[in-house]
Amino acid sequence: MTGMERVPMGPPWSVDLIADLHAGVLPPEVAAQLRPRVEADPEAREILQALDATLEDLHALPPIPMPDHVAARIDAALAAEARPAAPVVSLDEARKRRNRRLGLGGGVLVAAAAAFGIVLAVSPGTQQPSNDAKPAPTTSSANTAPPLALKRDELGSAVGDVLKAQNFGPLETPDRLAGCLRGGGITSSGNPLGISPITLDGKDAVMAILPAGLGQYRLVVLDPETCGPDKPEGVLADTTIKPR
Amino acid sequence: MTAAASSDADLISAHAAGDPYAFSELVKRHRDRMWAVALRTLRDPEEAADALQEAFISAFRAASSFRAESQVTTWLHRIVVNACLDRMRRRQTRPTVPLPEAGPGEPAAPRDAMSDRETSLMVQEALMALPEEQRAPIVLVDVEGYSVAETAQLLGIAEGTVKSRCARGRAKLAKVLGHLRNRIADANVPADGVNVQEQRQWEGR
Repeated sequence: MTGMERVPMGPPWSVDLIADLHAGVLPPEVAAQLRPRVEADPEAREILQALDATLEDLHALPPIPMPDHVAARIDAALAAEARPAAPVVSLDEARKRRNRRLGLGGGVLVAAAAAFGIVLAVSPGTQQPSNDAKPAPTTSSANTAPPLALKRDELGSAVGDVLKAQNFGPLETPDRLAGCLRGGGITSSGNPLGISPITLDGKDAVMAILPAGLGQYRLVVLDPETCGPDKPEGVLADTTIKPR
Repeated sequence: MTAAASSDADLISAHAAGDPYAFSELVKRHRDRMWAVALRTLRDPEEAADALQEAFISAFRAASSFRAESQVTTWLHRIVVNACLDRMRRRQTRPTVPLPEAGPGEPAAPRDAMSDRETSLMVQEALMALPEEQRAPIVLVDVEGYSVAETAQLLGIAEGTVKSRCARGRAKLAKVLGHLRNRIADANVPADGVNVQEQRQWEGR
């Protein structure tokens, strides 16, 4: 261009031209000449006001709450990200850590050890050889450490650990989990935020953590022996908590 | 550590120090706003969810290098906008849906008879119907309050282009939202791609 900017003739001017003026698109020398003429024209002034009103509408747009299922999905992705990369921890160390965290005495330690023994005794008969199993999102630490030993009134204390795990344990697959949840009348889409074998009052179980709305978790404890699509009795515990 | 009273910066520090809940807490605080940005920019909820997930994961990983001189929200915003733009660039070849001439073109009721909620829905709908290249700058400048310069930087386009795309989009919105009397709008707002030559001339400056 030559720098000899023509000032558009008018009125009338197109809405787009006035929108350009309004948005500061026009070269300053053109804008300077055009603005007083535009402001002197009622129709053009009306367009400027319409553009201002549009801006007000846009400024006033409220936030859009993130849908629960998206929030849950992001929580799960972040929980997976936060999960340590399968550290190798000795059994003794794992027990010590867990019991420190749970503040439990030696009696439960024995129960946990016993429960672990049972798991070891039961699983070889029911599990497929590991190289045939389809790639499940389990962590090796989950396979080497004994399941968390919990009591019914202290499920919340396990949230941190279970959120870090995607170990379906004896439930093996997301499909079986979904069936067990359905049996308890619990609907949940997608993978749980965390899942891990535990013992509940000394009995083998699986705890799944499901999204339950903003900042809340639904803790569901399932009995892998009895749960299924038509078996509500397989749900041993079902509680919603808001951590901290 | 993750008590409600903690500042965003405290949460970032706690996260860097290994608090497993700190980053989730930060995300919880800002996710609605970030969701609005992603959804308004990308329009498709599935894509918005993907972009946000990507963005939050990369923020999670990068949080330890976060520098306290920038606001946590600005920093998060930038990561989210970049994730959205990456997606937009990837789908650039796909056609955008033009602003419908029928439907929301005629407001169903006079503006003053509408509730705030109805107005928001209408504005939202009209915004979603804008072509992508106009919607992204309008979301950033007019909805999120970024400056033209910041928006130009975020979108990787010239400031003049941000302004003219905003101008084009606002003109369409003014019509669809019923701020322009139909007589003026019909006479003056072509359906799309108006004054392309004139626009290029200004943008090229």
